[in-house]
Amino acid sequence: MAGFSGVLKLTDLDDFIAPSQECIKPVKVEQKAGRGVIRIDASDGGSDIMDEPPKYEKAKITLNDCLACSGCITSAEVVLVSQQSHDELYRILEENNKKVESERLVVVLSLSPQSVLSIATKYTMETEDCIQKLTGYFKSLGVNYVFDTNFARTFSLLEAQKEFITRYKEKDSNPKAFPMLASACPGWICYAEKTHGSYILPYISSTKSPQQVMGSLVKDLWATQKGITPDKIYHATVMPCFDKKLEAARDDFYNEVYSTREVDCVITSVEVEQMLTRDNITLPSFTSSSLDTDLSSGSMITSHPGSTSGGFAHNVFIHAAKELFDQDQDKLEWKTLRNADFREVTLQVNGETVLRFALAYGFRNIQNLVQKLKRGKSPYHYVEVMACPSGCLNGGAQIRPENGVSAKDLVAKLEEAYENIPISNPNSESKVATAYTEWLGGGDSEKVKKFLHTQYKSIEKTTNALGIKW
Amino acid sequence: MSGAERMTTALQTLTGHKDRVWNVSWNPQGTILTTCGTDHSIRIWAKEGDTWTSKNVMSDAHSRTVRCVAWSPCGNTLASASFDATVNIWDCKTADIECVATLEGHDNEVKCVSWSASGSLLATCSRDKSVWVWEVGEDDEYECLAVMPSHTQDVKKVTFHPSLDILASASYDNSIKLYKESNDDWSVFCTLNGHESTVWSIAFDGSGQRLASCSDDRTVKIWQEYQPGNNEGIATPNNEPVWKCVCTLSGFHNRAIYDIAWCRLTGAIATSCGDDVIHIFKEQPQSDKNAPMFDLILTIPQAHTDDVNSVSWNPTVAGLLASGSDDCTVKLWDFTHIF
Repeated sequence: MAGFSGVLKLTDLDDFIAPSQECIKPVKVEQKAGRGVIRIDASDGGSDIMDEPPKYEKAKITLNDCLACSGCITSAEVVLVSQQSHDELYRILEENNKKVESERLVVVLSLSPQSVLSIATKYTMETEDCIQKLTGYFKSLGVNYVFDTNFARTFSLLEAQKEFITRYKEKDSNPKAFPMLASACPGWICYAEKTHGSYILPYISSTKSPQQVMGSLVKDLWATQKGITPDKIYHATVMPCFDKKLEAARDDFYNEVYSTREVDCVITSVEVEQMLTRDNITLPSFTSSSLDTDLSSGSMITSHPGSTSGGFAHNVFIHAAKELFDQDQDKLEWKTLRNADFREVTLQVNGETVLRFALAYGFRNIQNLVQKLKRGKSPYHYVEVMACPSGCLNGGAQIRPENGVSAKDLVAKLEEAYENIPISNPNSESKVATAYTEWLGGGDSEKVKKFLHTQYKSIEKTTNALGIKW
Repeated sequence: MSGAERMTTALQTLTGHKDRVWNVSWNPQGTILTTCGTDHSIRIWAKEGDTWTSKNVMSDAHSRTVRCVAWSPCGNTLASASFDATVNIWDCKTADIECVATLEGHDNEVKCVSWSASGSLLATCSRDKSVWVWEVGEDDEYECLAVMPSHTQDVKKVTFHPSLDILASASYDNSIKLYKESNDDWSVFCTLNGHESTVWSIAFDGSGQRLASCSDDRTVKIWQEYQPGNNEGIATPNNEPVWKCVCTLSGFHNRAIYDIAWCRLTGAIATSCGDDVIHIFKEQPQSDKNAPMFDLILTIPQAHTDDVNSVSWNPTVAGLLASGSDDCTVKLWDFTHIF
């Protein structure tokens, strides 16, 4: 499953393409007192001076070691397969179903709209029908609650809006206020941390991605409401991209008090396809079940307008135009620049360009953006950066097109379907407003920082000459 | 001196590089020779009277080895590729040569740089296994048009077709790939397999319908283009041109063949090798297009005292060849008499 985004594959971070570096991560082996004894095998009948052979701990490299290293990520791949995969989800569900009711974990599954569309298109289903059948399917496996990620994304959008306004007000004193760069794409974040480090990180929005907001919602807000501790909840997500597994495994999203992750397991669109095949399920004729509504925008699937990757630029733009310039924007005129994956929109006030936003998808456009930024030539206030060409609908873990259908045509089809999902406006969701007051204690509270924001760290490149294969 | 001796003795030896010379390259007018190497420098040589002399030295052109230099088709701009992971663009319109842009993006050593025939595109390749295409914009702005992780290993060489926007790359993964643009993105349309080890270098002939490659497997291969609907009846899947190996030259070199140059004036092919030898090959006059025969017409056994890394034909003076070597020297060879 060499399915990470092209951005990850391109940097020297991996050896998918071929090994360029051996794993150089020093493995920490617990030293135990009294074990440093030379064992003499006294097979001639003499006394054995040790009662038992020393047990050395098996050296284990965790996904996190790999994330913190600038070397390969193929070791990470192995770890991923064992820690975050549909097999792991099956295993957890199976174990859970065997337990007595009182000892069972509450299993929550969050569906991303991009994955639902990918699966719907694969089985020629209406989007709403598909999400209901998927809900039915996962519940039949033993999942207790199924949500979509739109509700969580509303928080991400609102926080991005607020952060933009704050940066705008600081722009004269903070040279790295603009461009604010979107933070929802883990492939992009990983690339930025490993390749451009401290230079680029201050530009990146501190707002958590919808997946990780969902994690906070499930394991804090919802856990509290239900009176369950977070470690008694198993939270899985279904995502269009393998990089989301890396995101879920970050230290920042680990709750040390309860030794649990905000998202325990990320499975992807292609893995759901594999599960359906394995279980011999004909999804279109499966029993429907409505989405659970606690952490969904509603019982039906909804999405945000603007782009098929979350609509970050769109929603921040509309909010900023109103808030900063009292301009009501309805439909934004996106201008395609160099290619379809690089577009911009501007706000003119009295003939002056006051806001300039862009979408930059795919590695080549990220490159140009970063290089412009380094040369001080970026004219943008905000850029929605996504690692994959065409954005999240074309994520690396989406279901492959059928024979004879080009990837481009499939993406076009998914985009059309996305357009038809009923829209929700992030600024007028009453449930979200309630959550801010009741759960977070206001819009600027410490809890907002804790649950809706994160941080990034530069990862130094270790060039170990011995590790390089020429 | 007899004619043969004259040809196997260098016309001139250019000294100055303090370490191995990696690449030699002529400007399109054939009036300037540019050389580069491990000493981080780029040297510019031009003819004064009858002798080629050092005109300019960019001594710290890069912070690591300069692996390759290439002139734009107009002859005003020089691009240099370095192990420091960057490509520098040098404005050479005046004697006061100036670095006007640095292209960053490759993750590690950049191995080669090439300009398209129109001069509007630049291609680079790297040990990071990727091939990049850049658009040359106004005001020394270079925008990345495509990043192609097309090879599974170090990419040694990129070169553009002599007239079309078609790009070729050669790699440590033993393959050669051909690329072109479609739907505002670049992609591979043909992969040439056949070499059994690293393909070190490739060169198009003047027509662009043939490509010569040289390899660590000690052979030279000649690849020929077959367009859809070709008379030979060669199948062309997806309606894309197909490239077939029509000739393999083996048994001539004893070590890895590092570079190959196909002269657009004479049709001669020069190869340079780890065995310190330079060979000159030429196609037999009446040879079959689909099974061409090449003759070895000249061998220079000890062209240099160490590996010969690079050879380049002067684009305007027939038979004038430059070579660069691990022995830190650059040599000029006059093969006028054999053509």
